[in-house]
Amino acid sequence: MNLITYIESLEELNAFVNAIDENIAKLNYELILGCSELSRYSKTSKDELLTIVNSAVKNNLPITLEWDALNQEEKFQEACAFFDRLPLHDFKAVRLQDPGAVEFVKTKYPWLKIQIILENGNHNFIGLQKWCEYLGEQCERLVLSNELSREMLRDYAALLKTPLEIQAFGRILLFYSPRLLLSPLEKTSMQNSFIEASGSSEESPHSGFPLIENRHGTFMFNVKDLYLLDHLDELSAMGISHARVDLRFDDCCKKYLKSICDLFTGKISDAEMGIKKNPVRPLIKGFYNINKTDVLFTKLKNKRTQRQDLNYVGEIVDVERDAQLALLVKTENLSDITKYDLKLITPEGKEKIVAINWMKSSLGESRMSAQKNDLVLLAYCNGVTVKTQVYLNPKT
Amino acid sequence: MSHWTPELLSPAGSLEKLKVSVLYGADAVYLGGQKFGLRQASDNFTYEELAEGVEFAHNRGSLVYVVLNSFLHDKDLEELPEFLHLLEELKVDAVIVSDLGVISTIKKHSNLVIHLSTQASCLNVESAKLWQKMGAQRIVLGREVTIKEAAKIKKATGLEIEMFVHGSMCMAFSGNCVISNYTQGRDSNRGGCAHSCRFEYSIDMGLQNDEQKKAYFMSSKDLEGIRLLPEFIEAGIDSLKVEGRNKSHHYAGTISKVYSDALGFYREHGHFLSSDMLSWEDELRKVSHRDYTNGSLDEYAGSDSIYNQREHDDNEFVVSGIVLEACVGKHLLVDVKSAFIPGDTLEVMPFAGATSKLHVEFLKTISGIDIPKSKPGSVVKIPYISGAEKFNIIRKAVNA
Repeated sequence: MNLITYIESLEELNAFVNAIDENIAKLNYELILGCSELSRYSKTSKDELLTIVNSAVKNNLPITLEWDALNQEEKFQEACAFFDRLPLHDFKAVRLQDPGAVEFVKTKYPWLKIQIILENGNHNFIGLQKWCEYLGEQCERLVLSNELSREMLRDYAALLKTPLEIQAFGRILLFYSPRLLLSPLEKTSMQNSFIEASGSSEESPHSGFPLIENRHGTFMFNVKDLYLLDHLDELSAMGISHARVDLRFDDCCKKYLKSICDLFTGKISDAEMGIKKNPVRPLIKGFYNINKTDVLFTKLKNKRTQRQDLNYVGEIVDVERDAQLALLVKTENLSDITKYDLKLITPEGKEKIVAINWMKSSLGESRMSAQKNDLVLLAYCNGVTVKTQVYLNPKT
Repeated sequence: MSHWTPELLSPAGSLEKLKVSVLYGADAVYLGGQKFGLRQASDNFTYEELAEGVEFAHNRGSLVYVVLNSFLHDKDLEELPEFLHLLEELKVDAVIVSDLGVISTIKKHSNLVIHLSTQASCLNVESAKLWQKMGAQRIVLGREVTIKEAAKIKKATGLEIEMFVHGSMCMAFSGNCVISNYTQGRDSNRGGCAHSCRFEYSIDMGLQNDEQKKAYFMSSKDLEGIRLLPEFIEAGIDSLKVEGRNKSHHYAGTISKVYSDALGFYREHGHFLSSDMLSWEDELRKVSHRDYTNGSLDEYAGSDSIYNQREHDDNEFVVSGIVLEACVGKHLLVDVKSAFIPGDTLEVMPFAGATSKLHVEFLKTISGIDIPKSKPGSVVKIPYISGAEKFNIIRKAVNA
């Protein structure tokens, strides 16, 4: 399994070099570098980035450049101009999320490898395959969504030739807004600053959502961090080749760098690393075991008040007890009514079959047929309420 | 001389709302089937309703777009081809899509016209070019894009461009919010959004002696773009979209009517009058809404675009009912949505032109029995008023 992690300063780079020193022969790794102009969360300036790049190149460390901010046209042009001025040949690949950035690099830098970040959506094989096909040889890796289950990952790894990456440890992003939402609470100008906070709501059972505001907008993270480091062997066996460990946000996590390197070389087990024993936030497996985020949809509306298509006539819109039902006809024509009974399905799901004893207009005139959108009156039927759905039922 | 204006695209959360939107002036409507869209709690359309809706809209010169803009999983995609064949049979005018797997499936199994959903957060020229290569003929831009930027995207790509002009807004880049997925177990990008962004949060900024600040900091004001219609027209934006498939008949009718009246005036005269603009804005305030903002239409949305209030109803008007039958010279049959009593003065909204006052001189059941108060969910008889038609909205001022 290849270790993918972030480096934000020269000190962190040196710490990484020290951490891998005795593992260098065994560890497969890659370092993601960002800068504040292109990366969502990075505080690294361009000068700092260039210093890190120089040092990494001298030490023959494999580095990739992250461009994961989403930009409207005006800001996008600024980002492109910034990107153009970077020493792109020093990077083994760029990591891109905005389809605009993908298109820009594909067109202007066809020699530059792309690791495409597909963290939102892209939950189906056809779409993933299409991205690979579109980018061709330039596509070095697919960075997959946290919402994919073990089963989906296994299928994709078996079917796709392109190497796949998933997040194995770190914060889970819940919300990305381009608007600055925290600085207004300070009531002072905080343009281009970096604010960290946490949010809790009485309307949510969860509390302590980490928040960040920076030049790219506002980000909210889950109250629990993703932890799949105990599944590395399984992931590797199913064909996932790269696992990302994100230690950027909590300084106290950076001490685990050495033991994470040891984990990836098989020197220690995840239990020996200590993250699980003393986590900054609770740890979860996210949707790794199962993703059933669509099962509650069936409860969002009353299926019994929904129109079923076969033999549908319309809906009861008014009931006058012991007098009549008012039926709003919703199908083409209601004719030859003597041939049919009516099947009535109430919102509670009760079914009644009733004969059509008579049918009248709102003026009391007798009718043998009705047009779509007509309102007609029928004999009262006990237990039938408004929103009862009405269907034709051929007489036996 | 007729001046060019963009298409007005209104929401159709149900068959009845489709009819209301079309009759009140929408050039096109967008709607969802029972699957594949982002509004699982909406009534949405069965196949028969869809057929009826398409026929109704086409007969009146309006187009119908069907949303397939969920981020579909593999098992969802298996069911899609059959639905695509139905949509082709019905001759829907386009489908609105956000996922590349869905686009590929549509292209493989149909010749349907593809509009890229705002859910894909297309924000710049290069992104639009990529989606164009993938098969999109129209781009519904992210709400974060300004009208000027949209004009650049149109000029650089030649694509049809659609922008939101009115309605609720996600605070996040669309498609980039999964709060509901992790906190409620409902996939927000498959129709299960729980609107957690509208909650009040206590914010701890971590400063010494800093008390926690309570704020609806993620809740956005609603978009209102009527004053920017000249800019939309100047930029050549092809379609103006009204958000709101989950909203009421009153909303669908009023917003469609106001924007349709405004665009119609421009088509005829080539300009807008400030007095009309005031009266249209006044009408837009009569439906349920949060405070209005221009969003990012003229410049990137700032702190004044945050609603920062609890969700509440402070409507100037409530919808009293929908006309089910207009029996000329005799009575109106009204599907009651909120209660009213004899002696009340209501307003009837015609499909075009000014509203009419209707004095409730009598209030009866269908069979003619006098009643003291109408009951929501019932049908009542009230006096006929000249010009009233089936599907007209009847409303009442809250303080009347």
